[in-house]
Amino acid sequence: MRAIVSRYGRLLVSSLLLFVAVITVLFVLLELAPGNPIQSLVGDVPISPAFEAQITAAYGLDKPLWERYFIYLGNVFTGNLGFSFGTNEPVLELILGRAGNTLALAVPSFVISTTLGIVLGSIAARTRRRWLDSTISGVAVGLFSVPNFWLGMMLIMVFSLTLGWLPTQGKAPYGQEGIALQYMVLPIITMATSELAYKTRIMRASMIESLSQDFIDTARSKGVSSQRVLWRHAMPNALLPMVTISGYSLGFILAGSVLVERVFGWPGMGLLFIDAIGRQDNQVVLGVVIVLTVTIIIVNILTDVVYGIVDPRLRSQLVRRSTTTRKIEVPA
Amino acid sequence: MTTTDEAIVIGASQPTGTDPGAPTEGRVASRRPTWKVFLGKPSTLIFLPLLLLFVLVSVIGPFFVGSPSATGNPPLLPPSGQFPLGTDDLGRDYLARVVYGGQISLLVGFTVALLCMTIGVVVGGLAGYYGGFMDTALVKVAEFFQVLPGLILALVAAALLGSNVLIIVVILAITMWPSCARIVRAEAMRISKLGYVESAKAAGFGGIRILWSDVIPNAMPPVLVATSMTVGRAILVESGLAYLGIGDTNRPSWGALLNSAQAYMQQAWWLALFPGMCIFLVVLAVNILGDGLNDALNPTIGRVK
Repeated sequence: MRAIVSRYGRLLVSSLLLFVAVITVLFVLLELAPGNPIQSLVGDVPISPAFEAQITAAYGLDKPLWERYFIYLGNVFTGNLGFSFGTNEPVLELILGRAGNTLALAVPSFVISTTLGIVLGSIAARTRRRWLDSTISGVAVGLFSVPNFWLGMMLIMVFSLTLGWLPTQGKAPYGQEGIALQYMVLPIITMATSELAYKTRIMRASMIESLSQDFIDTARSKGVSSQRVLWRHAMPNALLPMVTISGYSLGFILAGSVLVERVFGWPGMGLLFIDAIGRQDNQVVLGVVIVLTVTIIIVNILTDVVYGIVDPRLRSQLVRRSTTTRKIEVPA
Repeated sequence: MTTTDEAIVIGASQPTGTDPGAPTEGRVASRRPTWKVFLGKPSTLIFLPLLLLFVLVSVIGPFFVGSPSATGNPPLLPPSGQFPLGTDDLGRDYLARVVYGGQISLLVGFTVALLCMTIGVVVGGLAGYYGGFMDTALVKVAEFFQVLPGLILALVAAALLGSNVLIIVVILAITMWPSCARIVRAEAMRISKLGYVESAKAAGFGGIRILWSDVIPNAMPPVLVATSMTVGRAILVESGLAYLGIGDTNRPSWGALLNSAQAYMQQAWWLALFPGMCIFLVVLAVNILGDGLNDALNPTIGRVK
C-alpha cells in the first residue's frame, strides 16, 4: 500500500511542477513579447505621463518582475485567468463555454480512432506480409502523412460542395441552438484520421512484438486455436503500449482541434484560440493554453494510473514491494 | 542476477558489436551493405526520386517560372496550357506560387530536422552516457513538451514574438528536439553497457572520446530514421501554422497558400488541391523512406514467428 501511495504522490508532485513550468514559460513569452502593454491597451494615441502612471499602477505593471510572476501564478491557481481584452468577459467562463463544443468532436474522434486502430493494427499484424497487411499499413502511412486540415478541406470540397450531402461550416443550421449530427461527421472524420493512422501503426508493431513472445509458442503448442491465441493471449500484452499512446493522443487531438475547428468553422476552444491570436487578446490565448495543459496533465495522470492497474508486472511489483518479499528472482 | 544479464547482453552484441571504425571481415561478407538494401527496396525506388524531384524543383524551379507576385493575368483561371496550375484570386500564376511556396516548406522541414538531430545527438548522447543531472533534466524537458503540444506552443510563441521564417524554424526546433534526444538517450544508455565500451574504458580512453567514437556512431541508425520522420512532421506543423496565418506573409509557404485558398473552395478547387497535394507527397515520401531506412538498418526487427 505504501508503495502505491508514494508512487502516486510522486506522480502528483511532478505533474504540479510541470504545470508551474508551463505557466513560467508562458509568463516569460508574454514578457518577451515586443510592444508596450499600455499602448496596446489604450490604442495608438498619445497619452499623458500622469494617465500612463495611473494605468501602470492600476494593472500592477509598476511592480517588479518576480512579484508580478507570483501574482500571476497565484491567480492561475485560484482559477482567475484574467479578462478578455475584446469582450471584457472572464477568460475562464469564455473558455468553459466553448469546451463542450470541442469535446463533442474530440471524444468521438478519440473513441473511434482508438478502437479502429486496435482492430486494424491487430489484423495487419496477424496477416503480416500479405496483401491485407500491405494495404492497411500503406493506407496508414498515407493518412499519417496527410496534413489534417487539408484533408478536411478536401472532404468539404467532395462531400459538401460537389455532392451536397453534408454541411460545410458550423455546428448547426443558422439560428439553431445545440449541435446537429450531420455537422459533426466531417470534422470527426478529419480529427480521427491521423490519430487512427498513428494508433494502427503502433498497434501493429506492438502486436507483432507480442506474437513473437515465447508464451505464444506455448499456447500454440498446447493446441489453442489461432483466433484465441490472438485475442486472448497476445492482445492483452499488445494493448499495454496502446494505453500510453491513447493517453498522449488525447493531447494531440485537442491541439489538432485548433486546425480542424478553423477548417469547419466549429465554435470550440480552438477557434476561440485562433480568434484571440488574431485580435492579440493575450489573456484568452494564455487561458486556452492553461486549460489545455491542465486537461492533458490530468489525462496523463489517469493514463499512468490505468497503466499501473492493467500491467500485471507493475501490479505484482507493487504488491511484492509492499509485502517486502522483493527478491524472488530466478537463481542464476 | 546482474552478471548473467550482462553476459547475455555482451554475448548477443558480439556479432555486430565491433568497433564501428573497423568492421570485421565477417560482418561485411555476411550481409549486403545497408545502403544497398535500402536502395533496392521498391518503395525507395519510387519515393526517393519523387523527393529529389521536389527538392530539385524548389531549387532550380524559380529560374523557369514567372514571378509569383505579378498580377496582370485574369483572376481564378482554371488549370490550362498557359497556366498549368491556374491563377489565384489576384490573377497570379499559381504554378510560380506553388514552386516558391515549396522552397519555404522544404527549407523549414530540412533545417528543423537537422537542428533537432544535432541538438538531440549532443544532449541525448551526454544524458544517456553520463546519466546524472543531464539525464534528469532531459527527461523533465521531454515531459514538458509532452504536456504542452508543440503546435500550441509554436502558435503562442509566434503570435507573441512575431513570425518570420527564422523564428518559425527556431520555435519548431525547440519544440521538436526532445523526441530525437530521447531516442539517442535510450541508445546511448544501452550502448554504454556493451562490451566494446568497457574495453575502450579499460584501454584508458576518456568519456567524451568514447562517446564520440563508439557510442554516437552506433546510436545513429534509429536517429537517422527519426530525423527523416522529423522532416515530415516539421513540414506538417509548419503548414498548420501557416494555414492559421502564422508565418512570413511576403513569402507564403504551401500552408499559407491553403490559408488563402480556404475562401475560394467553391469557385477554385485548384487553389486548395495543389499545395496540399505537394505537402502530402513530400511528407509521404519522407515517411516511407524513413520506414525503408528502418527496415534496412534493423533487419531483425519485425520478424514474426
